[in-house]
Amino acid sequence: MVYGKAAGRKILCLAACGLFFALCLMGMSSMPKAKVYIQKINMSQYRMMVDGKPYVVKGVCYNPIPIGKSQDYDWWSDPAKPWIADGKLMKEMGVNTIRLYQAHEDSQEVKTVIRDLYNLYGIRTILGHWLGFWEYPCPLYGDKMFRDKIKKEVLDMVATYKDEPGLLLWVLGNENNYSCIGRVNPWSTDEIDKETNPEKQKAMRAEIYYSFVGELASQIHKIDTQHPVALGNGELIGLEYANKFCQDVDLVACIIYRGKTFGNLFNSLKMTFNKPVLLSEFGADAYDAYLDKEDQNMQAFFLESQWRQIYDNLYGSKEGVGNCLGGIIFEWTDEWWKHNESDSASWLVHETESNWSNGSYYFDIQAKGNKNMNEEWFGIVALSPESEGGLNKHIPRKSYYVVREFWKNPQLGEKKNKGAKSK
Amino acid sequence: MKKFLVALAALIMALPIYATAQESANKPKEAEKPKEFVVYTDKGARENHYIPSGWMGDYGDIKLNDQSMDNPHTGTTSLQFNYSGKKSQGQGWAGVYWQNPANNWGSKKGGFDLTGMTKLTFWARGAKGGEVLQKVVVGGIKGTYPDTAAVEMGPIELTDTWKQYTVNLAGKDLSYINGAFSWVTTADLNPDGCVFYIDDIKFEADSQLKPEGRKQQNMPFYVYADRSSAGNHFIPSGWMGDYGDIKYDGASKEDPYLGDTCVKVVYNGKGAQGARWAGIYWQNPANNWGTIDGGFDLSKATKVTFWARGEKGGERIEEFKIGGIMGEYSDSDTAGIGPVILNKEWTQYTIDLKGKDVSYIIGGFCWATNVDVNPEGCTFYLDEIKYE
Repeated sequence: MVYGKAAGRKILCLAACGLFFALCLMGMSSMPKAKVYIQKINMSQYRMMVDGKPYVVKGVCYNPIPIGKSQDYDWWSDPAKPWIADGKLMKEMGVNTIRLYQAHEDSQEVKTVIRDLYNLYGIRTILGHWLGFWEYPCPLYGDKMFRDKIKKEVLDMVATYKDEPGLLLWVLGNENNYSCIGRVNPWSTDEIDKETNPEKQKAMRAEIYYSFVGELASQIHKIDTQHPVALGNGELIGLEYANKFCQDVDLVACIIYRGKTFGNLFNSLKMTFNKPVLLSEFGADAYDAYLDKEDQNMQAFFLESQWRQIYDNLYGSKEGVGNCLGGIIFEWTDEWWKHNESDSASWLVHETESNWSNGSYYFDIQAKGNKNMNEEWFGIVALSPESEGGLNKHIPRKSYYVVREFWKNPQLGEKKNKGAKSK
Repeated sequence: MKKFLVALAALIMALPIYATAQESANKPKEAEKPKEFVVYTDKGARENHYIPSGWMGDYGDIKLNDQSMDNPHTGTTSLQFNYSGKKSQGQGWAGVYWQNPANNWGSKKGGFDLTGMTKLTFWARGAKGGEVLQKVVVGGIKGTYPDTAAVEMGPIELTDTWKQYTVNLAGKDLSYINGAFSWVTTADLNPDGCVFYIDDIKFEADSQLKPEGRKQQNMPFYVYADRSSAGNHFIPSGWMGDYGDIKYDGASKEDPYLGDTCVKVVYNGKGAQGARWAGIYWQNPANNWGTIDGGFDLSKATKVTFWARGEKGGERIEEFKIGGIMGEYSDSDTAGIGPVILNKEWTQYTIDLKGKDVSYIIGGFCWATNVDVNPEGCTFYLDEIKYE
């Protein structure tokens, strides 16, 4: 068979086109994916990908305050480096993530913690920012100067830590949405004060707050394309406003204390603000305020039940919604300073008096005044005054082992023995 | 020898047959399981196993004629109850438990093992018809020796002729039942009191009966319709915060939106318990803070509507909501509106249930407010609270 000149040109042209498309495809496939990103599958299912692999967050809130010290203690510069021993224990349990509520002022010390945990144990860090929630007199989200100040702090944080290989994602705020409904740290503006309808006032505050977080997320994405940004939110309160004004966040980091079940949370979130959810703070205390004694079974029962629900709602699960990315237990170790922050003598005492009530944790709800939540007993690892390597001796509670076993071999579906404690 | 061996073999083979036959001959006949267990059938009947001794609430409002010969269902007598609704003990409700032994509130070992029974039946009629029992209960007595089951049914609107009612107990643990049966009613449901009759209360073994699944309730489903409505499914029992600051009238005749009565709430804001806020949950059953497996499957509902007005207009209610009670048996979800500034005129409000899971609701409705937004307290009215 003999080809003419025209036919030859045609073949050459086709070959050139093919080569061009192949190069395009190669180019596309070599476009770097973000280090950490969230895949949306089937419109409402989500999964987190880290370094190209699915990643379920199995985390703990980390604030290693030793016995006798308070919130102000600078553990970052502790020569005993508590995170080294903690990281080892975490790794043995299966923890792959810690959550830090806000970075310390000294960025080198923060980097050391992030790097040590990642390099030694492969544990990644979620870094948060309070968004001025605890600043006195109150978080003035309606004030541009205040917002600019917070924005600068947040963007500085991102610029400082975005290249840390151990960084997983950012969390903006914690339960700041409660300030919009006046429940905690209420704030206002002249314009809001002029409005007489309280429901509209709430909506105005929510618009200001969620727009601000949305703007922060948008700015973060411009300087850091490698990590998702989460909206820290107490319960699902206010998310109908987030749906309107805060679409730039990649996920919701929910703080939830609902006892053994998260209820309809996953489905409800899908209906109001279709973003993936990370249970960024949940758990149970290990003290029975009614019987006035430590109860590790109670804590383990709640935590196992909570993790079962988290796994039921991960991507690909048959029963659940598929919008959950994992969870972060509150918390790694007990904090002995929490019951009375202003009394330094009490920081040496493991306080057993409760100061708040939550009926979801029903085993000890009959305690006096129904106060059953023991703030100093949320650790899955207890602290002992005994010293070990310059640190308080760490004693894992039953929940440490129960959750470890669950992660190894997740048993899904609700247990039939409704309400029973695993003894 | 050969004959001997054959005979021996035959003997060996026959022995087990003989032994089996002997065994079955010696074995006592298995006692036939009883088909019923009587709570009450007639005055003085030997088969009555329980005593109507547990008078509760406004016990002074109750009169019992235990040998009423006024048209008994069977036999010669029935039990006639006369409930005056006068709130003698200030409770607003009353009831009677059938116990064993008498007056056993769980402090003594008594009762019976009723395993095998699958239902309790009783016959009842009202003197006029229209009398309402808030509920009947099987089991549910607590204490040192608690009943192993607690099953409720109601409300029940009686007719003036005998009618049989059935409480499904299939699948329940009836291994210890001291409180066999009780009825409860309220002054709101029977404002002028009522007279009713009960007869032939018994447990029965019905192998065909299946455990009762949770039934999806039909809409509309009322929390509050009218004072005496049998359609009221929740009880305003969950008083919260400064409960001493609240006066509740579930039978206010001050310009109800619909029907004869509405709910009137007076909150004085004085801070009786030092909480600076107050509220009321409508619960099922009464006082259920998630401790009892109760409530309703309201999955067919898409919204909750209610009517409200303030006495002067301008009263502020921080929150109206449904669900949200957390405990061993938590509400499956919560939804709400607020803060709401009430108008002086009746205004309808809606709580949207889109995307909500209302398959298990024990906290049917709730309001809450506080002294900061009502420094002088407030008076407001509610009516026609319902799931639709």
